[in-house]
Amino acid sequence: MSLAPEVLRLDRVGKRYPMGDVIVDALVDASFTLREGEAVAILGPSGSGKSTLMHLLGFLDSPSSGEILFEGRPVAVLTESQRARIRAEKIGFVFQAFNLLPRLSVRANVALPLAYHGSPPADAEDRVDRALELVGMSNRAHHKPGELSGGQRQRVAIARALVNEPRILLADEPTGNLDTKTAAAILDLFKELNRLGRTIVIVTHSPEIAGHFRRQLHVRDGLVTEGGVA
Amino acid sequence: MRRLLSGVGNGFAEIWGHKLRSLLTISCVMLGVASMVLTTGFMEGFFKNWEDSLQDQGGIEKIFASAQGVKERQEPFAAVSPGLTLADARALSELVTQAGVISPEIDATLPRLARAGKTFEGRRGARVMGVTNAILEINRYEIGSGRAFSDLDMHDDSEVIIIGSKVREALFASGEEPLGAFIDFNNRPFRVIGVLHNYERFWGTYNTLDWKNEIAFVPVTTMATKVQRSDRLSFLNLKAANISHLRETVDAATNVLAQQHRGIIDFNVRTNEEQLASFASTKASFVIGGGAIAGVSLLVSGIGIMNLMLASINERVREIGIRKAVGATPFNIFSQFVAEAVTLSLLGGAAGVAVAVALIKVLAATLPPGSTPLLSPSAFVVGFVFSVSAGVLAGIYPAIQAAKLDPIEALRYE
Ligand SMILES: Nc1ncnc2c1ncn2[C@@H]1O[C@H](COP(=O)(O)OP(=O)(O)OP(=O)(O)O)[C@@H](O)[C@H]1O
Ligand SMILES: [Mg+2]
Repeated sequence: MSLAPEVLRLDRVGKRYPMGDVIVDALVDASFTLREGEAVAILGPSGSGKSTLMHLLGFLDSPSSGEILFEGRPVAVLTESQRARIRAEKIGFVFQAFNLLPRLSVRANVALPLAYHGSPPADAEDRVDRALELVGMSNRAHHKPGELSGGQRQRVAIARALVNEPRILLADEPTGNLDTKTAAAILDLFKELNRLGRTIVIVTHSPEIAGHFRRQLHVRDGLVTEGGVA
Repeated sequence: MRRLLSGVGNGFAEIWGHKLRSLLTISCVMLGVASMVLTTGFMEGFFKNWEDSLQDQGGIEKIFASAQGVKERQEPFAAVSPGLTLADARALSELVTQAGVISPEIDATLPRLARAGKTFEGRRGARVMGVTNAILEINRYEIGSGRAFSDLDMHDDSEVIIIGSKVREALFASGEEPLGAFIDFNNRPFRVIGVLHNYERFWGTYNTLDWKNEIAFVPVTTMATKVQRSDRLSFLNLKAANISHLRETVDAATNVLAQQHRGIIDFNVRTNEEQLASFASTKASFVIGGGAIAGVSLLVSGIGIMNLMLASINERVREIGIRKAVGATPFNIFSQFVAEAVTLSLLGGAAGVAVAVALIKVLAATLPPGSTPLLSPSAFVVGFVFSVSAGVLAGIYPAIQAAKLDPIEALRYE
């Protein structure tokens, strides 16, 4: 079986936060490869370095050591604009803290990544509608994030990550605030997207949810290991 | 284009989202523009007034010849110095072809104008001059009613008089017809043949043109033979026929006069040029001064804008982080903030122009004429362009700061 093309590769990637005298090693020598069409769950206790890893995968942060390659190219050599362009067109990111813009409506929040596309798609409006529909938030399109529950905000954040039809979806605890039924619906959505060829990486505390993904990565004290369901 | 429009649209949304802050920014620009337009308006009004009054004194084509003490080395001849006389005026009109108009003038010493028990006092006393019709052209007098002097009046040394509007007011009742009436000039009856226009230009409540109204003219010949009993001229004014030959005309007049006076330089030939030069230099220094004031007000409004933009960025670090995280390039962020600064500056500029127009209208209605600012279109254009550029320039530094923010740092910002 020939391997699918590489999307992201980490080569002994470390992230170190100097905090005065104390040095926090949030990630130590992480090395793994993500291929097109993979579905990966990242597991690990709180403070183990999962979010740090996700930020590095989405080039929101740069590693303190080691190298990250996107489609075979070292991310370090890309300019900030080039990274931004890739984020806008190829990566969808769901933040653990949602990170919606409070002054914009739900609809405008979801449409945001399209505004930063190199050439804004002609069907931008439709895409926003479809993304809202996928997460079941069409009826709240004109509300402000402040008027929504935590779970609803999370769904808006997911819609925003899906709107640019990214090749790779990075979701930091996307089901953390959802009831089992909604969580299951979102999970089905992710599985469907993965079936259509998208690469999906999610962070979760739940081994049960992780069980739906073909590959699991465990993070503990900044160390990343491959593994089956714990 | 679409991108730019959406940038301005976002700008508006942001402005609406922070009403107070936006209002302050807009006020900064507004004050800058308004003060600039007003300052220029006042300056232009002032210079327009001055220029008009220069014109009223005969404009720059005018040449003044006047008697003066002889130079030191000619002291021995002082006694035979004739001063300027009617003969000089005749010589000039024969020999200086470049002189379009020649106006010999004799000021009466201690003139007294009276009629039917009323005496003309005026603000600075009566002034009666012996003149020819040339003064009408050189000093821009117009006959309101009646006529100018005729050749016969000049030739016969007739006792006729043309009076200014204030003289008429003082000596005649409002319904009374002055033309044909006689008034006493130094106890000699003169027949009124003309009344001058009434001239007004107010500086406050003061009519700066009253000197043109508190005056009376008699033929210069009459003045010389019957009143002063001397043909010494008080003034001898010329007007160059062609402004571009001003210098040649001055030289020719100087030569003719020197000839007439057998080389005794007891006269002086001047032009309005010095006045004009001082007008120009004063104007230049005012423009520089006004420019400095405007510059300072723009600087202040620029600092205001920059401050508010920086505050706005500080408040929106998270937003910048989020936008970057979903794919905004540094340039996207930069343009967003510049678009906001531009939108605010444009609104402020428009408000400033509106305020300036309103203020100028109000001032024009309340201030005495003569000191009112002018609505000058160039001031608007300059004020607008400058303030908007100040707004944009002041917006650029904060926009660069915003563009440079690291996405993850910005997201973590509380
Ligand atoms: N900006 C920072 N400065 C200093 N230390 C940091 C910073 N960001 C993260 N850390 C540290 O790095 C470690 C990993 O943090 P991270 O947010 O990746 O954990 P996590 O696995 O996502 O935890 P959770 O499950 O609670 O979200 C923690 O010890 C945290 O304190
Ligand atoms: Mg986390």
